[in-house]
Amino acid sequence: MTTIDQRRASVPASAVERRDRSYALQVEHVTKRYGHNTVVDDLTFTVQPGRVTGFLGPNGSGKSTTMKILLDLAAADHGHASIGGVRYRDLSDPARTVGVVLEPNAFHPGRSARKHLEILADTAGIATPRVREVLELVGLHDTADRHVGAFSLGMKQRLSLAGALLGDPPVLVLDEPGNGLDPQGIRALRDLLRSRADDGHTVFLSSHLLAEVEHLADDLLVLNQGRLVTSGPLQQLQTAATRVRSAAPDRLSEALRAAGALVESRDGPLVIVRGVPIDVIGDVALQAGVALRELVADTSSLEDLFLGWTGRGSSMTDHTTSKESAS
Amino acid sequence: MTTSIRLVRAEIRKLTSTRMPLTFLIVLVAISAMNGVAVVWGTDMDGSKAFISTAADQRSLMAFAANAILGAALFGAVAVAREYGHNTVVPTFLAAPRRHRAFLAQLTAVSIAGAVLSIIGANLVVIAVAVTLPTTEYGFLLSAGALTAVIAASAFAGAAGAVLGAGIGVLVRNTGGAVIGVVLVLFIAPPLIVQLASGASSWVPNSLANVLSGVGHDVSRPAAIAALAVWAAVPALVGLLAVQRRDVV
Repeated sequence: MTTIDQRRASVPASAVERRDRSYALQVEHVTKRYGHNTVVDDLTFTVQPGRVTGFLGPNGSGKSTTMKILLDLAAADHGHASIGGVRYRDLSDPARTVGVVLEPNAFHPGRSARKHLEILADTAGIATPRVREVLELVGLHDTADRHVGAFSLGMKQRLSLAGALLGDPPVLVLDEPGNGLDPQGIRALRDLLRSRADDGHTVFLSSHLLAEVEHLADDLLVLNQGRLVTSGPLQQLQTAATRVRSAAPDRLSEALRAAGALVESRDGPLVIVRGVPIDVIGDVALQAGVALRELVADTSSLEDLFLGWTGRGSSMTDHTTSKESAS
Repeated sequence: MTTSIRLVRAEIRKLTSTRMPLTFLIVLVAISAMNGVAVVWGTDMDGSKAFISTAADQRSLMAFAANAILGAALFGAVAVAREYGHNTVVPTFLAAPRRHRAFLAQLTAVSIAGAVLSIIGANLVVIAVAVTLPTTEYGFLLSAGALTAVIAASAFAGAAGAVLGAGIGVLVRNTGGAVIGVVLVLFIAPPLIVQLASGASSWVPNSLANVLSGVGHDVSRPAAIAALAVWAAVPALVGLLAVQRRDVV
């Protein structure tokens, strides 16, 4: 991925119109069960165009299943998902509307990268010269005639991205697109996705590379056990939290929530408070008649936040939590 | 270009962009070579070469339709099942989310490939026999019409076999399992069916292929064509339903 120049020479006029349209992704009350196992549980969110939305969650939290439901590869038991207001299967030209990276190894190992993309182009009705363009875009032009079976994970990931960009789509849905990429590749991917979002395109990506998401995402959606545990603009979610230790944490939590704060219960007397300034916390505690033993600004990394949201079984409630829009 | 033609073209490109057709071609060359070896060195129980002494005997030797069903069914099963094994079906369904179109394109492509491979196979066998017959006291006795019938029967049987195999492949979604499925349907199931209903022996794929090749006369040729089409269509239709209803995971 040596260049982020988005060549569009072989993209027809209809694709330009499509590119100029805005496509929000909507998931409404989606539930998916496999047997008795509920993988996605009454999930609702919106991914807005012009922004990069990070989709986070531990392994098995339902991210990939949600993406598959959005792309009509899996059927929801309840609820529905749409792209620009229509179901994926009803899109007039899906390959030119949505670029997808889903499976890390969706290639025949005995086929060359070029042939793989030519087949995708044939399937989607995209002119073959575009194959050369996307191969250059992802930096695989020199190895395009090698069998994919000989590719490293990073090269396969680049090839997946090339496939996603083949139709120059205004929507990108990417499941772990940074997996296996070298630092240069990650930087190029970040620049590419940023420029796409800045052009008004919709970028929806899941990742376990939290540092990357922290650099790239405008909005976050966090899943845990199939449910949305938090969502909203990353900046807002990362707003410095406050560590508060008190004699009556339950009473204080209740008062703070009433004041619009996001309160995360921790061990014993400790709670982590977000969404309100530190002096307001002091005022609320005073009004509630709760003596404070510690009141300290707590600046958390995305990793700390993520672990708090998903890894410790913490309970979080507030106005930005589940069933709300990401922005 | 319509969506359907586009999809068929992509599926044909898929089939021709790996070594699988070459592997099957090598098998066809081996089969034809075995026919040649049989003509040169083979004998009947009494030591004679009666098995090539008449036009009917030579037609039996060159009737390739039964082999075509099995070979093409394996080809169709492997071609479709590996799409799931390698997850290459995912980008196909993303580009063609009305999945029946993608599967019908796949059926069309494998049936064309099955027919082509079977025609090649039948021709190789005919050539092998024709080339080796001069080493014996017998000449080439098949008329042009009989030869055409043998090759046409192979083409139809190959197309039907490939569709049958593709149906099994899409149901099983695993290359090894699909191959076992083909063996079960074409080798294990027919004798069991005949045991349950003796009248069914005329309607199993091998008997039908022999009717098409002109070496069996259990049923009429149109009936054999229809019956073989049903053998192919049943797994393909079940597969089509499965493709539309199942999650791609």
